[in-house]
Amino acid sequence: MTRPDGVPAQGPVVSPRVHGVIALVEENCTSCMLCARECPDWCLYIESHTETVPATTPGGRDRSTHVLDRFAIDFSLCMYCGICIEVCPFDALHWSPESDYSEGSLLDLTHERTRLSGWRATPAADGPSDVREPPDPVSGS
Amino acid sequence: MSALVRAVREVFADDVDDLLDVATDFGSTTIHVDSGRWTDSLEALAAAGATYFDFLTAYDELENGFCVIAHLSTPDASDHVLLRTLLARDLPAIATATSVYRGAAWHERETHEMFGIDFIGNDHLEPLLLPDGFSGTPLRKDFVLASRVVKDWPGAKEPGESQEPTTSRRRNLPPGVPQGWLREESTPPNAGSRHDKA
Repeated sequence: MTRPDGVPAQGPVVSPRVHGVIALVEENCTSCMLCARECPDWCLYIESHTETVPATTPGGRDRSTHVLDRFAIDFSLCMYCGICIEVCPFDALHWSPESDYSEGSLLDLTHERTRLSGWRATPAADGPSDVREPPDPVSGS
Repeated sequence: MSALVRAVREVFADDVDDLLDVATDFGSTTIHVDSGRWTDSLEALAAAGATYFDFLTAYDELENGFCVIAHLSTPDASDHVLLRTLLARDLPAIATATSVYRGAAWHERETHEMFGIDFIGNDHLEPLLLPDGFSGTPLRKDFVLASRVVKDWPGAKEPGESQEPTTSRRRNLPPGVPQGWLREESTPPNAGSRHDKA
């Protein structure tokens, strides 16, 4: 079944483990920049600033904390390697199997943090790899 | 030993030195031959049953030169080999595989475009994929990747920064980008003068 514009009426049935899009858990992010530095495609943008948290106990010290101003992933560059997810020490990123976010313009493929946070609703399933079928006798080798 | 490997070994029976290596890794056999024996080897493999030409490509081995590699298989995929040869870095050229496998023309065209390797006997090495007027051979490792030069590295900032620092603090450098590619070459301020004295 396809719609009049040629787009399939129903998306493909994919495994819940599929790496479709990257979700951001904003409150876990410490703006440490590790993901932006490890990204081989340079497609991850972080801006942050420092705020001072006043001491909570008498005689205690003020502390400074990083506050996230911008977190964006440009999915027009992303090659879905997942290195940013692997490298995050605070599990602020995870996979979601959603893949229905095509756009008419490459510029619109940059997901800012609100959109990235939206993908949290559908975390990818965890667990061992899908059982692999034995290789096809013709194409397998 | 597979029939394909045996066929190639027979070709080189009299001059074993041209058969540089036969190695099997992860279930794939790679036959490394002297570049002058490329056509001989292809013919032997085709005659021995490897009539399915899968692909031909190259890769950059830096100072060693360029490796040209062809994957050939029997039509039922029961046997397959990678045929490999090494070309000198300056003026890399090799005989065309199209005399044996006509389907290689397209692959040689692309390999010529991406690596600047000449396939002698293939008269149609026209640009295939790159934009009109593009100069350079982008899959050579010494080809400067424009997107790494033009764009600022997003990882240069420190936590708590919104913009790249303008102070003289030593900047982080993007991993994997060769020295000399970045716009402001981020060598220590004294490096240039030391070089001048030398």
